Amino acid sequence: MSTSTSLTAADRAMPVRTAAVPRRYGRYLYLAINVSILIFLLAPIAIVVVFALNPTPFIQFPPVGVSTRWFEKFFASRDFMHALGFSLEVAVLTTLSATLLGASAALALARGNLPGTRLIVATMLSPLMLPAILTGLALFQTYVLLDVGRPTWGLVAGHTLVTLPYVVRTTLAVLHNFDTRLEEAAQNLGASPLRTFFEVTLPLIKPGVLAGAIFAFIVSFDQFPVSLFLVSPGNETLPVTLFNYLKFDLDGTIGAASVVSIVLAFLVVIGLDRTVGLRSYVKL
Amino acid sequence: MMKALGSSRLSRRRFLTASASLGIGTVAAPYVARADDPTLRITGWGGKWGEIMKAEIGPAFESEFKCKLQIDSAFPYLPKLQASSRSAPIYDVMHTNSNEQWAAAEMGLVEPKIDPKLVPNLADVYPYAISDKIVGVSIFTSAIGLGMRTDKGYSGVSSWKELWDAKYNGVRGGYVIPVNSLGQAFLMMCGTLFGKGQTDLDAAYTALEKLKPIKIVDFTGAMEKMLLSGEVGLCVIHDSGIYRYDGQNQPTDFVSPSEGVLSLEQVLTITPGSKMKEIANAYVNYMLRPEVQKRLAETVWYSPANKKVKLDAKYDAKLLTTPEKVSKLIQVDWKWYNERKDEIDQRVNRIFRA
Amino acid sequence: MSSAATQRPNGLALFILPSALLFALFFFLPIGLMATMSVLTGNPVVMPKVAFTTRHYARMIDDPFYLEVIWTTIRIGLVTTLVALAIGYPLAHWMARIKSRTGHALLLMAVLAPMLTGIVVRTFAWMTLLSDKGVVNQTLMSLGFISQPLKLMYTETGIVVGLVHIYVPFMVLTLTGVIGRIDERLEQAAENLGASPLRAFIEVTLPLSLPGILAGSLLVFALAISAYVTPILLGGFQIMTLPILIYQQISANFNVGFAAALGIVLLVISLLLVIAYNRALGLVSGQRELQ
Repeated sequence: MSTSTSLTAADRAMPVRTAAVPRRYGRYLYLAINVSILIFLLAPIAIVVVFALNPTPFIQFPPVGVSTRWFEKFFASRDFMHALGFSLEVAVLTTLSATLLGASAALALARGNLPGTRLIVATMLSPLMLPAILTGLALFQTYVLLDVGRPTWGLVAGHTLVTLPYVVRTTLAVLHNFDTRLEEAAQNLGASPLRTFFEVTLPLIKPGVLAGAIFAFIVSFDQFPVSLFLVSPGNETLPVTLFNYLKFDLDGTIGAASVVSIVLAFLVVIGLDRTVGLRSYVKL
Repeated sequence: MMKALGSSRLSRRRFLTASASLGIGTVAAPYVARADDPTLRITGWGGKWGEIMKAEIGPAFESEFKCKLQIDSAFPYLPKLQASSRSAPIYDVMHTNSNEQWAAAEMGLVEPKIDPKLVPNLADVYPYAISDKIVGVSIFTSAIGLGMRTDKGYSGVSSWKELWDAKYNGVRGGYVIPVNSLGQAFLMMCGTLFGKGQTDLDAAYTALEKLKPIKIVDFTGAMEKMLLSGEVGLCVIHDSGIYRYDGQNQPTDFVSPSEGVLSLEQVLTITPGSKMKEIANAYVNYMLRPEVQKRLAETVWYSPANKKVKLDAKYDAKLLTTPEKVSKLIQVDWKWYNERKDEIDQRVNRIFRA
Repeated sequence: MSSAATQRPNGLALFILPSALLFALFFFLPIGLMATMSVLTGNPVVMPKVAFTTRHYARMIDDPFYLEVIWTTIRIGLVTTLVALAIGYPLAHWMARIKSRTGHALLLMAVLAPMLTGIVVRTFAWMTLLSDKGVVNQTLMSLGFISQPLKLMYTETGIVVGLVHIYVPFMVLTLTGVIGRIDERLEQAAENLGASPLRAFIEVTLPLSLPGILAGSLLVFALAISAYVTPILLGGFQIMTLPILIYQQISANFNVGFAAALGIVLLVISLLLVIAYNRALGLVSGQRELQ
């Protein structure tokens, strides 16, 4: 009612805020902490790059020079190139299956009114809880039992198992925050449940699903213990090839392999960011 | 907004079809290739051995015997063989060290003896290659001794016991005994050095306790690198691990200790359930041919098992190529060790934990 | 939101079937096999006579060594989780609150970069940093701060550093979502009422982000206790955790039964944690939350 800008009695009664330390310093501290954390995260990667360019054939610091010999060796190696291609292929197939299965499972869990939803969610996340090395051995044993050998689809199935939880998590997260009034509005305007699903629900959960897909891709590309038992000669994933390579040769080739992996994966992530816009949805 | 959605939907669809066809293509590919030559499935190390097998030895064998050689170099091999059924083993020929071969033989996964009628070259090998301490046949061997840096002023290194000297604290190198045969052979050597013999486990345990601090690794490749980078100054290693850097001017050298060198054999065995017995035996015979032995020995500095092999001078000087040199090799009783492996591992894991 | 308590499953429930099939074939079947092998004397498929036995589990109780290994594994997991939380929270907060889109994209790249490097190489990078002839020691020695190399690797500390590096991104990405959903106006209201930014954080933001903290911690702990490559390389093979022991039993002792038993123990520990987590979550917030 009163539009006066003078201080009222109530205003005067409020304690005047005096910061013990000026806000500026708090801000600097916040930034300093975060920047140090970033350095911690990125330092080993810088080391990997240095390692990839250092000509000596073992771990050494300080580096003695810059050389592209390890990149040449990496690209010239039939084993590594095949492994790189195979890893990419497995990662793509895994991403597709994990995304499809995971997103649909999340939908069923969030909207399907399933009994024991919580238990089912916990079960779907349990592949993350078991040491992957056992999962790998168990799968190998099962495949042998069923006499299917070590086919690529078997490897993809194993990868899907350990990446599915991520897709389920991200999709569930988006679904939980979903404003169902949008769906109700669409239906009020005359859309059938099916049409609402495809034209309202699906596009809106897409970023969450895509975030899960990114995790699936990264985790599959980097996956080691499950792959260890399920790869067959001639069809090895890059992490397995690297691990075996390291038994005999500890040189910059692994650094080169790593740099190439990072660049490739970055391209994938940037590409997805451009087409979809990941901003607020790359969360677990 | 709609335009962006539309274009992304389009590119995504294309991407999906492309990957689907790629996926189907690759899954189908192995089935197509299988219609060809018979395949012999073997195991093999990586590194220099793997390179030369893939580049020369393998293709030569394939063309001579009209088959395909499928080499699994993803260690460990035995668990995979163990998990596969007896009638359809995952390997036809297994190449690994003696300790594993013995374990495999005990489990009935590999045939303990090679038939000399099917592998005629067996007649030309040194006695150690088919001794009672071996299952299958040893195609190469290395000597396990000490490796050292030559630029740190270590002098008078001639005995195994040097490793226990306090001056090597912080630069001593050894192996994870439960998983590595050099480590296991070394343990038995400790029994000989400080006790009544290979089977004196108590003496060995006491000696190992005194060996700390020590840097341990699971594979000789890692030890080679630690020695090259200076992380380690004196270590247990096989001669091949030092000599293979010949010509690179590395400040490392191999020492054959006065108490004797242990034998690290490269052994081939055939699986009983293999459907490719004929080619398998042919492969074992092929690997014992003098020319093949010479080529491999000179690439990775292994000592060939075939007496008839004539190595070039510089290899001949350092490797074990005479009956006399070879007779000095100490072979270990793996059957005995494997029987006690669980309790030894339990004890050793305790000794070496940080 | 409608209460789902008394509603019947609808058509959407069917969408769970493909995943259910995947799980049945590729998870429950193999794990069931493992559980079976953990109580048998051998592999029934390849060995003629096998008998039921509890000796694999008895072995764990008889010898204190195995209990130590279990405790070491849990301890490393706990420390890794706490450190990852301490490091991940500030970064997650920054990422959730940053206004510029480029800034967010850059931060995202930085957070994802460790994950993209590949586990084997990443661990080797840490070995390059922490070993006696590595970056840290060489730098400190050349600057004259130390005369003997510091033992950074071959210790639990080295393992924790390596594991934290791998799992901080998971923690950050879990937290950033939750923090992002906290209405900033709540913090502003607190500050308007006289609280310092720090107090507003402690009494408003932190409690509201608790579900995220729990979710991220659970994820990191589960991943940390099942890690293999990093502990073995950075611990210098001298620190024994359950996954390392399991691998040793499989690859060098060929004792699949014992390995399976150890694995089941690890699984049980993880499941107990999920239950504890669910309880804690229920106490902390009555709301619907992702698990």
